[in-house]
Amino acid sequence: MKSAVKLFSLFSILFVLVSCSEDSMDDIAAFNITSVSPVSGSVGTEITISGSNFPADPSAIEITIGGVPATISSLTSSELVTRVPDGATSGELRLTVNGQSRTALPSFTVLDDLEAGTVENLFAPQTGGQGQGEIGGDFTRFSFESGGVTESETEWDIAFRGTTIAVNGGVVTGTNDEPERNGNAGAAIVNGIFDEILTAEGLEFAQDAQGAFAIPTGSDNGWYNYNFMTNVVSPIPGVVLVFRTHDGRYAKVEILSYYENAPANPDGFADASRYYTFNYVYNPNEGETQLAR
Amino acid sequence: MILNKNYFLIIFLLAGQVFLRSQERMRTDSIPTENLEEVVVTATRTLRQLSSLPLPVSLISRRQLQQTGVIRLDEILDEQTGILMTPDATIGGGEGVQIQGISSDYIMVLIDGVPVVGRSSGNLDLSRLAIGNIQQVEIVKGPSSSLFGSEALGGVINIITEKPDSEDISGQVSHRSATFNNQNTSVNLNQRRGKLGYSLFADRLSTDGYDLAPLQDGQTINPFYNYTINGRVFLEASEKWDIFASARYFFQEFDVSPDSSEETDTNLHLRVTQNPGTKSNLQYEVYFTRYTTNEQIEDPVNSDTLIENDFDQRLLRPEIRYNYTFGPGNTLSLGAGYNFETLDRSLFREQVSFESQYLFAQYDFKPAEKLNIIAGARFDHHSEYNAQLSPKLSVRYDINPALAVKGSIGSGFKAPDFRQLYLDFSNVAGGGYSVFGKEVESEGIERLRENDELASLQVDASELGDPLDAESSVGYNLGITYKKGGLSAEINLFRNDFRNLIDTRILATKNNGQNVFGYINRERVFTQGLETDLKVRLLDNLELSAGYQLLFAYDKDRLEDIENGEVFARDPQTLETVRLDRSGYFGLENRSRHAFNVKLFGEIPKWKANANLRAVYRGRFGITDRNGNGLLDVLDDSFVQGYTLVNLSFGKRLFEHYSVQIGANNVFNFQGNNPLAAQDGEVLINPGTEIFAKINFQF
Repeated sequence: MKSAVKLFSLFSILFVLVSCSEDSMDDIAAFNITSVSPVSGSVGTEITISGSNFPADPSAIEITIGGVPATISSLTSSELVTRVPDGATSGELRLTVNGQSRTALPSFTVLDDLEAGTVENLFAPQTGGQGQGEIGGDFTRFSFESGGVTESETEWDIAFRGTTIAVNGGVVTGTNDEPERNGNAGAAIVNGIFDEILTAEGLEFAQDAQGAFAIPTGSDNGWYNYNFMTNVVSPIPGVVLVFRTHDGRYAKVEILSYYENAPANPDGFADASRYYTFNYVYNPNEGETQLAR
Repeated sequence: MILNKNYFLIIFLLAGQVFLRSQERMRTDSIPTENLEEVVVTATRTLRQLSSLPLPVSLISRRQLQQTGVIRLDEILDEQTGILMTPDATIGGGEGVQIQGISSDYIMVLIDGVPVVGRSSGNLDLSRLAIGNIQQVEIVKGPSSSLFGSEALGGVINIITEKPDSEDISGQVSHRSATFNNQNTSVNLNQRRGKLGYSLFADRLSTDGYDLAPLQDGQTINPFYNYTINGRVFLEASEKWDIFASARYFFQEFDVSPDSSEETDTNLHLRVTQNPGTKSNLQYEVYFTRYTTNEQIEDPVNSDTLIENDFDQRLLRPEIRYNYTFGPGNTLSLGAGYNFETLDRSLFREQVSFESQYLFAQYDFKPAEKLNIIAGARFDHHSEYNAQLSPKLSVRYDINPALAVKGSIGSGFKAPDFRQLYLDFSNVAGGGYSVFGKEVESEGIERLRENDELASLQVDASELGDPLDAESSVGYNLGITYKKGGLSAEINLFRNDFRNLIDTRILATKNNGQNVFGYINRERVFTQGLETDLKVRLLDNLELSAGYQLLFAYDKDRLEDIENGEVFARDPQTLETVRLDRSGYFGLENRSRHAFNVKLFGEIPKWKANANLRAVYRGRFGITDRNGNGLLDVLDDSFVQGYTLVNLSFGKRLFEHYSVQIGANNVFNFQGNNPLAAQDGEVLINPGTEIFAKINFQF
């Protein structure tokens, strides 16, 4: 009797196994995507896809982002790491195994690359000041999008005159010859190493206001120190200016020099001043706060 | 030259007088073979034997002053251990004295116990003080506000003038010529006749000046001339009453179109000493001093006055002191005084005045034979800032007759000065910024607001006008001294903690983009290190001394910032920001980690000649921050390399009344290089070798 029960059980199990065999192949490969992080990124950004039942063989998996195939850099049954491939465009992030496809929600946004650059000798003349009468003269306007000086009255982000930096946001401060503010730019001063400033998230952005620039003017107050002994304006080391652009993008700036050709030790009496040299990183994606790869 | 002729006339008159009297007195200048018991008054305001004091005191003797051939106080201080004369931080300019790494703003300078006033940006110009009639210079290191009140944080330099001690007229007439057409003539007369003594001193110094920046217009030191006249009277009115009166006047002028400047310094000092018994002693003192400068810059074309800057500071101080001696080495001192101070200055809206009252007490006693304790305190009440209590305790224990341990702890303070309280200045030429002293900042800001010049206030309006505290310090000294036979050695460890140092801050922004500055108590710094001194008598007439100071001087807040990783510097190559670590912070400006001096004084009695060789080394120091982080770091290109100045002089007595002296300062013609000089310019640290010759007629 006992053995009869055993046999029955065995057959039953076999039957179940066999009867499921067609479907069960599907079930075993029934992988799932539970999360994707991040859901946006520029080319080269590492993407971690979590889920279950990923096959052990990477070659069995096909990943596409916006239809462009990506390669797998590491794989376990529950986690898969890939990178945004060259030429990817925003769209579905899709995993295909043995013809079965799963699509991650929401769809993946491929961001434009951060743009990094150095602006050399941006000339920011002014008239008057230093005992020569009232300060005046046009500001030199700069656009992060174009990475250079712009003549546009609207498509500018920040503007320079002497040691003063204006942003295209807020209202006019009341100084002579200043440009109209028609954007939503703002500025925040952060202390740190340029490369270590990773994001604009959480910063409070000030805008130009009646009587006060977003970046405060004066020595030791905003971006520079003035040494009366050497007559030199030095950018304060560790001061990183983070900007929101006129159209809601973010950028960070480190001013390197206020003198023509950025000499290591400027001569305050001989070297031509009001020539800005600065490094910047610009995130061209609207609302994206990331400022370092 | 007319003046020089006059002096020659005086010389002849005096010579004649001495000849008629046919009496002369030989002053013995030889190095005593036994250790003379040198006494000082500055450490306790009573007469104390230098070698028995429980706190660090240096003494520069008359012999050293004479044999080195120096003529001004600054020149001799530079050769003392733990004391440096620093070049003004601005290129060229004046010098400041530094003791234990503490700058000249915090060092009090006295003549016969009463203060010299008239500082320019905190610096007292010590080249104003001629030393032709000085008996000795006493330097107390470390806070001494318990006796002297404000300004005595870093130490006290007290110039003790000589007293007539001969029934016969004695004195000297001398002339010294040196490089840069430096001409110094001085006459010194002393006599004591019975109960009356007098002393007269006149000194004239002129020079063509020199230039440290040959490629720039103008000279660093303009040609000038000055006079010092000092008359003193000593009267023993009775057994119980002594009277001392002194009048000193200094006048200096230079006139190099378009700039001209006049400077005067007047000191009137009256001291009446009463000795009611052998145990008690009362001193009544009245002191008045006035310091004025008058600078003018004229338009070179039409001689209109472009800038006029006047400065007129006065101080009147009555003081009473009482000493009671309970027994040997057991003295109680009490004192009280009143300061009336006024300053009239072009940059102030009106004449300003201070009043302060003070009391001090000190008990100097020996609870055991080998133990000396001095405990003292002073209370200062002031019309413009919080009252100050400055205690000090010094202890000395004699382990054996040769070896002693001494330690002291004391506090010092410096009252906010007139500038920090009353300056009302808008720099039109320099871009339109404004600076307000604490007492006038509220109304200054209000005035700017009414004139519509104010853009925004950067501080809470309720903070405006909050009183400034005095800057204060606590100083610790711990040392060992050894003295036996011809050898004396001393090691002293020191630490000075400063707080509430007054700094400028931005009060508001003006519509022209410039700032309005005010003053605030903010900075905390410390200086610490060790100083060591060694004196050896190599031969009967040959003495070698050597000194060394090790110094660390830092801003405490900046050290904390570095600890927190909040201080950055700029890589000189890439100009990119790097985080500064502790080893990158060099410390306070103008401080050298190491300073040495070696001095050799010798005499040949047979030839009535003396010679000396002195070398002073000053280690590397930085002048200013250059990369904008507000502190001096190793990446700043503003360091002056260490240098040595070697000075020597020879003196010989000729006949009975004459002596000649020749010498050279900075023998190796060190000139140095100021790193702040323009790229194709050159700015020197030192004008180079100075050769001098002096002829002296003494009687």
